[in-house]
Amino acid sequence: MRTRRTRLATITIATALTLSACGSTDSGETGSAETAAPEDGGGSFSMAVTDPDLLIPGRQSVAFDFAMTVWAPLTFLELDGELTYVQAESVESEDQQTWTVTLRDGWTFHDGSPVTAQDYVDTWNTVAYGPHAFENSGQLAAIQGYDDLNPADGEPTTEEMSGLTVVDDLTFEVELEGPDSQFPLQLSQAQTALYPMPSESLEDLDAYNTHPIGNGPFELVDDYVEDEPFVVTAYGDYAGEAPTTDQITFVPYTDNVTAYTDALAGNVDVASLPTSRMTQAADDFGDQVYAFEAPGISFLGLPLWDERYDDVRVRQAISMAIDRETINDVIYGGQYEPATAFTPAIEPGTPEGICGQYCEYRPDEAAALLEEAGGFEGTMEITYPGGGGLDEFYNAIANNLRQNLGVDAVATPTADWAEFLEARTDEGIDGPFFSRWGALYPSQQATMRELFLATGGCTNCVPSYPEDVAEAIAAADAAPDDGGESYAAVQELIVEDFPSPPLFFETYGYVTSDKVDELVTSPIGNPRLTHIVLAD
Amino acid sequence: MTRFLSRRLVELVVVFLGVTFIVYAMVFTLPGDPIAALGGDRPLPENVVAQLRAEYHLDLPLWQQYLHYLGGVLTGDLGTTFTGRPVSEAMASRWPVTITLALSAWALEMIVGVLLGLAAGLRRGSILDRGVLLGTVLATSIPVFVLGVSAQLVFGLELGWFPIAGTSEGWPASYVLPAAIVALYGLSSVSRLMRGSVADTMRSDFVRTLVAKGMPRHDIVGVHVMRNSAAPVLTFLAIELGYLLGGTVVIEGIFNLPGIGQLLFESIRTHEGPTVVGVTTALIVVFLVTSVLVDVLSSLIDPRIRHE
Repeated sequence: MRTRRTRLATITIATALTLSACGSTDSGETGSAETAAPEDGGGSFSMAVTDPDLLIPGRQSVAFDFAMTVWAPLTFLELDGELTYVQAESVESEDQQTWTVTLRDGWTFHDGSPVTAQDYVDTWNTVAYGPHAFENSGQLAAIQGYDDLNPADGEPTTEEMSGLTVVDDLTFEVELEGPDSQFPLQLSQAQTALYPMPSESLEDLDAYNTHPIGNGPFELVDDYVEDEPFVVTAYGDYAGEAPTTDQITFVPYTDNVTAYTDALAGNVDVASLPTSRMTQAADDFGDQVYAFEAPGISFLGLPLWDERYDDVRVRQAISMAIDRETINDVIYGGQYEPATAFTPAIEPGTPEGICGQYCEYRPDEAAALLEEAGGFEGTMEITYPGGGGLDEFYNAIANNLRQNLGVDAVATPTADWAEFLEARTDEGIDGPFFSRWGALYPSQQATMRELFLATGGCTNCVPSYPEDVAEAIAAADAAPDDGGESYAAVQELIVEDFPSPPLFFETYGYVTSDKVDELVTSPIGNPRLTHIVLAD
Repeated sequence: MTRFLSRRLVELVVVFLGVTFIVYAMVFTLPGDPIAALGGDRPLPENVVAQLRAEYHLDLPLWQQYLHYLGGVLTGDLGTTFTGRPVSEAMASRWPVTITLALSAWALEMIVGVLLGLAAGLRRGSILDRGVLLGTVLATSIPVFVLGVSAQLVFGLELGWFPIAGTSEGWPASYVLPAAIVALYGLSSVSRLMRGSVADTMRSDFVRTLVAKGMPRHDIVGVHVMRNSAAPVLTFLAIELGYLLGGTVVIEGIFNLPGIGQLLFESIRTHEGPTVVGVTTALIVVFLVTSVLVDVLSSLIDPRIRHE
């Protein structure tokens, strides 16, 4: 869920962090110093965030936690994999292509106006409308008429998607480009572009960004001001399940290591766990460290445009030469999980272990396999975006490859993310590279579409788009939802092709102050702030 | 004086044009497409990228982009950030933080530095003199982030004297720690300069005359030596203020102070040309203005400069 942008925001001082490790204390000694007293029974807490700038759900990229408190999604995926309905009463289809969404009656926006089907249709049209350039508009791309609002050249001639029809106040129909069994999942909590905005607020989007009005359990108190904390309080007329607290303060930090230290001092109650602190978090925070399983997966990207990587055995050998367990323990404090499939384990039906021996550390077999494939000529230069605290990780991988395969492997950072992205998309690199994908809804479909379809667009992933895989994914989309089994079958094809070695199933890490008794999550890896349990 | 000032003003305009163009060109040549990178590893739809690129004139050649920018500046429009916020507004909200931090640090640096330098200069070769030298050089040689993070852990976390981060407790509580660390790095220069200057003045003929005349020592030091030694230190302090107002990026980051340095850092990272140029230009202006002020002040303090 956190994008590279957030992670990169932490930059600068990665080295400082190791140095200060000696000065850290036990969290037991430091009490929760401040934060406002609860107004009534429910209590309040604060969370460290990256300053969002953009709060409109169709545009935000680092305000997921805020968005998930101020808006209610149509559907919600629970931790046990069950899909529940929140703002939607039902989402049904007979052919997986025409979906009927029925809203719950009696739900209101924070301004008191009812949430109607028209609001949804207007919002989605606004988000998808090309000239608005909404960053998250891609989440609507599967709806018929999306292309009309986003023509390749020139201005769109219409402002509405043909695939959206209002049936009555509480019902609307969605016509997709093709059958898709995962549509109800795509309406779940982290697909924020699908959150409703009141129709009348669409006239002035700048004003709406300053003070968004949602349909969720919390409402924004004052206008949002950049770089300043913003507060949400429980919305009294919320028709859904009441949150466990009354008030949340989101405090912007420019450096998430500072936020970590502030959480240690009890000045902020929930903070994300910076990579540089993963190994010491348990000492600092004891049992107040959380590693939430997330729909994120990392790969060692391979330059398939370079013929030295043509032989599948070369790719398999590289994979077997990487000691995932040790890297995880030493660099990530054991927070991640070595990947054994091509989609994150939390995505239902993921065939864990399908990667088999190729995802295990087998240095001798790796060397033998590379030998058999004819060896490797020249330097193997691993390229990754610099300034994001990834140096240790890629140096470790380069070491593995050098020692186990005898190749001349080095890890080289680019100046920043933009330079990396350009080098990767221009195929300007001839060695392995940084590659990961964090899905927004936990379905194998969400990860596979981005990775293995030419239309997917994971720009840092390996460009491997075999036709049989595309056909198999389409078939799985069209099949009724079977808990991910049909998508698992697609991975049989992928493992044979072995485009790039999966590295880790990711977790998103958080730490809390003593004020928090338990932080709970949902399958998208972010904390579920509406259900946080505060200490007495 | 008028001729002197008008010449400086013409210089100011030339420097402004030169600097804005150079900075704009530098941001322009940074590798990578800022708009494509905007979404992080979650790519933006192609037409969104195209739309945004057109909106920020990034699809034009450099000189056209720059003319667009310059045209905006002349009408008082400094452009917008990639999130659509006016650059002037983004800067306005951050200046107070940086100015507060810079002035606090500057005042500390001046007071402590001048006193240390004076004491060392009056007692050259003493333990105090050597102690000041050793202490200030030692402090300067520790990387700023080590000092910053350590201070946070000791004074913020262990002792709890100061907040660890943020500006929520206002001045002075939120600024003491970061300002003290920033000031520490200027101390060695200020105290060395002051020491040398005081030592020179003490050896000068007029001081010997004053001593012979029987003037009390504290009057000699307080009135005559101080004034005659101040010029070089003042020049340094003025330039230092320019630096400090440029934002102390690392300290602002560590202490989560949303100042101008952070804005510059963030905008370089995201290749936001208008913001980088806007901030840089503002800093250049600050620098130029402080240097003009220094010239004026020095000539007031030391009439010899005026006659040169």
